[in-house]
Amino acid sequence: MIDQIRDLTDQFEKDLASVRDMDTYAAVRNKWLARETGLITASMKRLRDMPREERPAFGQAMNELRVRVEERMAKLLDGLKLAAREQEIARKSVDVTRPGFPYPLGWEHPIRRLQAEIEQIFVSMGFRVFDCPEVETEYYNFEALNMPRRHPARDAQDTFYFDEAALRLLRTHCSTVQVHAMETMKPPVRAVSAGRVYRRDPFDATHSPMFFQVDVLAVDEGITMGDLKGTLEMFLKRIFHPDTQMRLRPGYFPFVEPGAEVDISCIFCFGKGCRICKQTGWIEILGAGMVHPKVLRMSGVDDSRYSGFAWGMGIDRVAILKYGVEDIRLFFENDLRFLRQF
Amino acid sequence: MKISIDWLKDYIELPESPQKLRDDLTMAGLVVEGISACDGDTVLEVEVTANRPDCLNHVGVARELAALYDRPLRLPPARSRMRLRVERIPYSIEIRDPQLCPRYCGLVLDGIRVESSPGWMQKRLDACGMRPINNIVDITNYVLLEIGHPLHAFDFDLLSGGRIIVSRAADGQKIVTLDGLERLLDPEMLLINDGAGPVAIAGVMGGLHSEISLKTGRVLLECAYFSPPSIRRTSKRLGLSTEASYRFERGVDWDGTVAAVGRTARLIGEHAGGRLAGSLQDVNPGKLEPVRIELGKERAERLLGVRLEDGFVEATLKRLNFRLQRKGKGRWLVICPTYRADMELEADLIEELARFFGYQNIPTTMPAARIAGTPSPVSACETAARRSLMGLGYSEAVHLSFAGSRELNQFRVPGVDAPEIRNPLTEETQFLRTTLAPGLVASVRRNFNYDTYRVRLFEIGKVFRKDSDGLPVERRALGIVGTGGFAGFNWHHPSEEFDFFHLKGAVAGMLSALRSEDFRVLPGAGLPWLNPSDSASLIVGGQQLGVLGSLHPALQEEYKLRQAVFLAEIDFEGLCSHLFSPVHYEPMPRFPRVERDLCVVLDRSVRYEDVKAGIVGLGLHHLREVDLIDVYEGAGIPPDKISMTFRLVFLDREKTLTIDRIQSFGDNVLAFLQNSFGAQLR
Repeated sequence: MIDQIRDLTDQFEKDLASVRDMDTYAAVRNKWLARETGLITASMKRLRDMPREERPAFGQAMNELRVRVEERMAKLLDGLKLAAREQEIARKSVDVTRPGFPYPLGWEHPIRRLQAEIEQIFVSMGFRVFDCPEVETEYYNFEALNMPRRHPARDAQDTFYFDEAALRLLRTHCSTVQVHAMETMKPPVRAVSAGRVYRRDPFDATHSPMFFQVDVLAVDEGITMGDLKGTLEMFLKRIFHPDTQMRLRPGYFPFVEPGAEVDISCIFCFGKGCRICKQTGWIEILGAGMVHPKVLRMSGVDDSRYSGFAWGMGIDRVAILKYGVEDIRLFFENDLRFLRQF
Repeated sequence: MKISIDWLKDYIELPESPQKLRDDLTMAGLVVEGISACDGDTVLEVEVTANRPDCLNHVGVARELAALYDRPLRLPPARSRMRLRVERIPYSIEIRDPQLCPRYCGLVLDGIRVESSPGWMQKRLDACGMRPINNIVDITNYVLLEIGHPLHAFDFDLLSGGRIIVSRAADGQKIVTLDGLERLLDPEMLLINDGAGPVAIAGVMGGLHSEISLKTGRVLLECAYFSPPSIRRTSKRLGLSTEASYRFERGVDWDGTVAAVGRTARLIGEHAGGRLAGSLQDVNPGKLEPVRIELGKERAERLLGVRLEDGFVEATLKRLNFRLQRKGKGRWLVICPTYRADMELEADLIEELARFFGYQNIPTTMPAARIAGTPSPVSACETAARRSLMGLGYSEAVHLSFAGSRELNQFRVPGVDAPEIRNPLTEETQFLRTTLAPGLVASVRRNFNYDTYRVRLFEIGKVFRKDSDGLPVERRALGIVGTGGFAGFNWHHPSEEFDFFHLKGAVAGMLSALRSEDFRVLPGAGLPWLNPSDSASLIVGGQQLGVLGSLHPALQEEYKLRQAVFLAEIDFEGLCSHLFSPVHYEPMPRFPRVERDLCVVLDRSVRYEDVKAGIVGLGLHHLREVDLIDVYEGAGIPPDKISMTFRLVFLDREKTLTIDRIQSFGDNVLAFLQNSFGAQLR
């Protein structure tokens, strides 16, 4: 009886050693543990043919063998599964250096991106965004900004108009926001307005009959030229670089008095002098000033009580400087090779 | 304005370096745009703003520098004696329109020898970009560049009757000007006439007839002050801008006429042999007065945000030749120099104080934030739409707002007329655009030309039309274009061609990101440039707010586009009032949802939306969604039929739905489809 058990054990060890993969494993498992025909069950059946006194010992030995077989088989299976998974992992390894899926992406237009950035800066400083019309009347574009008919300052703004009397026209600047904002809001006024403006300039590398401007206006009690400088400085540092220097020099715009031209330290040579800044270290960037008393009065604001500052800037110009775009026409061609860079 | 440094030195002592001069002038408001060498001289290109005509000459610039450096100014010598006891040559001046000509000075010289002007004078004229002609003309030009007053010299022998009459032109009157062109005049234009007819267009250009020639022996000098708006109108109307008109329209020194005549007479005496023959006549009916402005220091301090000393205010204004009368503490009556045409209000004086205080010395402050900063409602929608479209793979485009008649014909919008620009630059920019489509299509073609065939663009911008009165009106529109593979071609994904449903999906995606009200897309757009096979209208909140579809094959061919191009255009302003519907939160369901797919064969004419509406209309209590998950046509389906697979999603918020109930819902829907649409289960 003992011999029988030992033979079975030896045979099992041999079978176990022959297992190479899941198929051979299944065969061995079937040979030993199949419910009816497995060797363990078959051997247990011999119990009936044994002398009664040997039965308990044999039964016990067979049970031990069965537990042993089951445990060894389970362990073997774990090992096989692990190996199979590792094999699978190895087989499925990918070349991670291949390009990722090309999700379609959209890019922001550089001028519109700057416009949004500028509006956002001023909203954060307590200014309200104004949408002003592109088709304007002569009054809003010129008259109310202290540029009466036959004013020489109109020369600088060659205008597209719709009627012989030139009463209806395409706005030549965003300064129209001054009049619109003061008419719709009582002081305190804080307004920013950006968008397309039109001048009768032929399309070439540095001119476009349509370009983008932004104008900013603050009207309140006690607004000073110092406030203009402070607001400008904060804005210019945010839009260009925190180290940007600013200087104001006297300038002329009919709708402000005093008026100023605003320069920034050259962003290419940091003020040392280069081709872009014509060796001066400064780049002219915008026009500013204190709102002209006549402009305040015409828009129904009491100029003895309120004062204000206003400034206007070309957004295209900022884009040209900031990104080094050499031809303004590129902004309106919508070449994706261009747009993808912003 | 070209300013010769050599010439300036006649009037003021200058700093050694032209660069320092450039910087000082620039910071004082006279921008020096360039410095160039010219025949041993240095010439500054000075940009003189429209408010400072007094700086359009060398003495004017020197005067500004004298104030800036606080140095003495040496004025050029002039003839002082300009009256004769006995007139040798009598002449008369008559002003018939003192409004347009407030002042006119004349003087007659004889014994003139017309020849070349002296070399030094020619050199200076040359340096300033003026061509020397003869001594008389050169001298008047020299005085113009020197003290800024335009003068005209008539050949006295060619003036009929020795008379000067300043009057408006008669309608249709003509004159041949010095440039040899015949000019047609109107009654708004001011003329200088002799006894017989016009001899000059006042302040703009002299007549050819009385031009100085080698035969000239006697001249009449004219130095006048004309109304700036009148000169500007005449110059604009005639399309004739001259050195004289440029200065007159900005405003010359009305009180400098006599001095200018004196200076000219002296130079003619020195260089052309002129002798006084007819006394100075100063006809001054305009009775102009110097501008007087009340100045309060407190107002200046408030505007600039600085403290100003009385002494600073007085010294600054005096250096600039203003006269001051003290009117109490910190108050003055200021009498402005007559050459300062820009002086009108207290603010103008405050600017002078600020200039000399130094803009750089004004301390930087921040204004109080008095209101909440907010985007406008439209700009908020625009920001959201731009972000969502960029997220969906569309790049932002900007096109010029113009259109040519060719595009307007190609992209005709029925019932919409394009506003026409009266003074267009080119034919292509003669009108304003009525739709964003032509720009987008042109950009697609441009990208194709650069071998970019996968193009997705959008633009938010104004489109224009004429209103019922023919006046231009504008409205913000959103245009979208798509063509080429859905995603870039790549090893991972065989690129699928972009089609109508990609475009519709993008529009739907954007609308849902913007929390739009319910929208529908219905067949037909009513636009001749969209392909009738897929053109559609976008209905939001019951309003037609846009169109979408592919570009008409005829236009595709005309534009030589190698693949179909899909366009959408939405009235963005109209859309804005349907966006950002309030959020209605619904708790997450605690029971599972159950999907059931129904695959049926239908007539091709049956539209998905009608089927869906019918299913929803059954009012099945637990039906949450209906979706179309597959469409099939081809083998196994009759040619006039189409197979659609609907996915029905059921959810009971109270309990788990049983198989039996779902089965009965499905049977319900199927029966409906069979009865109403003749559907067959596939």
